[in-house]
Amino acid sequence: MSQPAEIVVEQLTKAYGKFLAVDNISFAVPKGMVVGFLGPNGAGKTTTIRMLTCFMPPTSGTARVGGLDVFHDSLKVRKNLGYLPENAPLYLEMRVAEYLQFRGRLRGMDRGTIKKRIDEVTELCWLSDRKRWPISKLSKGYRQRLGIADALLHNPPVLVLDEPTVGLDPSQIRETRKLIANLAGLHTVLLSTHILSEVELVCQKVIIIGRGKILAQGSPEELKQQCAQRGSGARLVLEVRGPADQIRSALAALPGVEQARTLSDNAVCTVELSGKLDGAMREQIAALVQQRGWALREMRSAGASLEEFFVQITDPGAAAAA
Amino acid sequence: MSTTLALARREITGLFYSPIGYIVLAIYLLFVGLLFSLLVMQPGAIADPGPMFQWNHLILIFVVPFMTMSLFSEEYRSGRIETLRTSPITDFQLLMGKFLGAMGFYCVVIASSLIFILILSLFGRPDYMTVLTSYLGLLLMGMLMVSIGLFFSACTQHQILAAMSSCVTLVALGILFQAISYFLGSALGVSWAWLRTLRHVLRYLAIEPHMVNFSRGILDTQNLIFFLSGAGLFLFLTYVVLESRKWR
Repeated sequence: MSQPAEIVVEQLTKAYGKFLAVDNISFAVPKGMVVGFLGPNGAGKTTTIRMLTCFMPPTSGTARVGGLDVFHDSLKVRKNLGYLPENAPLYLEMRVAEYLQFRGRLRGMDRGTIKKRIDEVTELCWLSDRKRWPISKLSKGYRQRLGIADALLHNPPVLVLDEPTVGLDPSQIRETRKLIANLAGLHTVLLSTHILSEVELVCQKVIIIGRGKILAQGSPEELKQQCAQRGSGARLVLEVRGPADQIRSALAALPGVEQARTLSDNAVCTVELSGKLDGAMREQIAALVQQRGWALREMRSAGASLEEFFVQITDPGAAAAA
Repeated sequence: MSTTLALARREITGLFYSPIGYIVLAIYLLFVGLLFSLLVMQPGAIADPGPMFQWNHLILIFVVPFMTMSLFSEEYRSGRIETLRTSPITDFQLLMGKFLGAMGFYCVVIASSLIFILILSLFGRPDYMTVLTSYLGLLLMGMLMVSIGLFFSACTQHQILAAMSSCVTLVALGILFQAISYFLGSALGVSWAWLRTLRHVLRYLAIEPHMVNFSRGILDTQNLIFFLSGAGLFLFLTYVVLESRKWR
């Protein structure tokens, strides 16, 4: 974290009438890092991104990209920024290379540079064989890649990608993640998404936003730790043959178990335990089951995942009900 | 400047890629041909294309709105406005790019009527200077019409709504105001001062009285000012709308 911050957001607020879409948030994105911007739908991700990319001004607070204020130095900020909006809107009647050429000219690039960069970015985004294609004939995946190619065209130091893998097939998703991971170091990337595995794979830092506020930030490992410390992180799932009620109450009585829940109660019942469950605990459980004459079929740990943490902090209601 | 031209070029090619452009062109040619054969190409008449230009706005008021309706509306609807506004271009460049693009296509549309001048020149010797001033008049009138279309397109994301609103406005300027002022002048026959003023104002705001001079080869500053100030006003209003959308 010793790197200087490329994006600095301080007490940023956006209000639509009385509704606070983004409520006094502050965070920083270090230079050369891929940072995941995570949140459920309607959390304020896109609004924050729109303020960072100078699409709309903040109601209050400041945001600086590359040391420049998004409001006062808007044009300069936009020069240094590559942005892929949600759903990658394009001119469908244009051809791929033609579109990139148009976008290059909008950014004031000269002809030679544009030509060179079109070759580079189409190569990078696996579009080389589609350069002459009309955009209307491209599949969703290719359009998304064209959007990323457009964002990369002027080789900007900062990239903001709003849900770049939406609508892609699994192999394209993997390739796109690889592409984004490769951008780290050369570019500072702010990646908005609600897919958690994506964040775990490509991001060095995660910022979680919910209902307009920052709920947590840190590296994926730090967040997992926080999750485990909250107590309900570690869980064990047991499959035992025997009377469901007795099994549940016996397990719940064990020291360290905070909660025992029956997931299914057929001849073989499934029980989920949560609490401070370490290795020795599992042996104790196995012994207990055997002692009572039940049969232990399976015991697996459902460890603290980012997903759980995400659900916990973004939707406390749902987490309590679970 | 080059960014503005890049935007303008995209608008022109965009219109040529879409069926709308060709429909506009075909309808325009059809009706100009009608004006030409009814008012100009008469046996024994002098080779004066004037009436064809004088009444040209009656076609253009229904054609231009379809040319301009998508300029901003479609950008809003498709979300492309986000890619445009996060590019390093100013709102003024965006506005001028769209305006010049639509004007470029408009020029292609009115230039298509040169075919009738060609036909006329086969049968007689029209005054080419008058033809020139007529086209200048059409160009200036186009600036006003396109800027009105641009304004309504910037107001909504619904193309049809944009087309209807600009059509209504252009019908008012092109037909309604003149008809009312004519009605107030002759049919009513009263001479209250305020009514006379109203009649003058309406007549000033009507398009035809300004177009007629150009079609006769007269360049009057009043007509120039009317078209240029009108276009300037609506371009300014469009700019204000664009700016205000940011704050919503």
